[in-house]
Amino acid sequence: MTTNRRIYLDHSATTPVDPRVAAVMSGVLTENYGNPSSVHGFGQQARAAVDRARREVATLIGAKPNEIVFTSGGTEANNLAIRGVCEAAVDYGRHIITSAIEHPSVRGVCDALEKRGWEVTRLPVYENGIVRIADVNAALRPDTVLVSLMWANNEIGTIQPVREVGRLIRERRQAGQRNLWFHTDAVQAAGRLPLNVDEVGCDLLSMSAHKLYALKGIGALYVRRGVRLAVQNVGGHQERERRAGTENVPAIVAFGEAAKLARAEMSQRVAHDSVLRDRFESRVKQLIGDVVMNGDRERRLSHLSNISFRFIEGEGLLINLDLEGVAVSTGSACSSGTLEPSPVIRALGVDDEIARGSIRFSFGKDNTEADVDYVVEVLSRAVERLRALSPMTLAGH
Amino acid sequence: MSYSNKFKDYLAHPRNAGELAGANVIADEKNPACGDRLRLSLILKNDRIETAQYLAYGCPPTLVCGSVLTELITGKTVSEARQIKKTDVIDAIGGLPSRKHHAAALAIEALNAALDKLT
Repeated sequence: MTTNRRIYLDHSATTPVDPRVAAVMSGVLTENYGNPSSVHGFGQQARAAVDRARREVATLIGAKPNEIVFTSGGTEANNLAIRGVCEAAVDYGRHIITSAIEHPSVRGVCDALEKRGWEVTRLPVYENGIVRIADVNAALRPDTVLVSLMWANNEIGTIQPVREVGRLIRERRQAGQRNLWFHTDAVQAAGRLPLNVDEVGCDLLSMSAHKLYALKGIGALYVRRGVRLAVQNVGGHQERERRAGTENVPAIVAFGEAAKLARAEMSQRVAHDSVLRDRFESRVKQLIGDVVMNGDRERRLSHLSNISFRFIEGEGLLINLDLEGVAVSTGSACSSGTLEPSPVIRALGVDDEIARGSIRFSFGKDNTEADVDYVVEVLSRAVERLRALSPMTLAGH
Repeated sequence: MSYSNKFKDYLAHPRNAGELAGANVIADEKNPACGDRLRLSLILKNDRIETAQYLAYGCPPTLVCGSVLTELITGKTVSEARQIKKTDVIDAIGGLPSRKHHAAALAIEALNAALDKLT
């Protein structure tokens, strides 16, 4: 069972590089190869290209160019934000507030800091996959130095109350808690939602270029002016002393171009993605029984649908779809006889069977309605095939 | 992880899937650590496994090991079937990563549970 048709529905994992982005980057690769730190003309030409890209990335989130630090991606941005703030604020407190559904890069840094003596409060989400502002308020302590809450979740797409958190943090700061900062991981949200750092009141914001039709290996951290950050990469003056290392000029230029296109095309991309997602969900509900749509139905990204299929396990379904040319993802993993259900789906308070049967479908600007119809057709067949194999569909089992 | 074409073929086309009406014996085993489950039903004639079918819930190797197990035991006597080991199942698939060997172990547990019920 193989097919020549290939449909990519995993845009939350990564996106294809937009040909317009590739074209701009290609010119830089061959012609603009100077080191931006060099004083000569080649270097200054590269510096100008980096500066232009920095302006585009800053504009995407309503920031100033000198508040953007280019990194190797979202994971490094999250590491720099959390470690950087916590290590710089160590004299004021060692308490971090985050959520139970953060990306592994945020979870990992928080876990590592916890082992080094920081205290971490991981706020729950409820069945809708959203943190409650009352819980954030209750968790804040005089020694809290950082709240790190993602803008939108990578598995279920739920949009977190970042504006309310930003307001709360500002109030606390005005009341005298001057070393309390707010970081948001906006890797899934950037390019998919209008982001404005001043409106939201975040102090740090992480982005990744390959989620918005640029290439992998490049991202950025927004650092509001005045935020103290312990530098993690030392040994160079790049990025205003905040991240040493020669700039990846072609990748930065690609990121800048992708940010420009994302800003210009955001409303049409969002409209396109949401039409496809709604068509998909409506057809799934019509054709396949015993499904659970995970996460809030309203406060979520427009391109993402996370569905649990009862009686079957996600990885088997994923491979069956892959054999039909359809690429999706699942958050659960089974290895060495121990199941690791998706922590995000588990945080919704669902049972193991629902957590194990969850699949993420994430649409992109190049998908079509015909793609959706094909996917629903092969999905319906694959679910039927796997359910016919499942002992859980037997009466009384 | 990546799976072989043989593995994928088993996954896309399960062999002997279902539950036998009039089975002489049914065994339903579960891996308590990961929740994977394999249910085996057998029809025997003159101490020989004439037909075997399975149902399974769990990760792809568990589904595939069910298919492979039923192929391996069909036509075998009870004592011949008792000789089948985890490695025979793994070899018949064309190999499994070590962290997925528990799927073959579950298949053998289901087989032994079924054969034990016969005695």
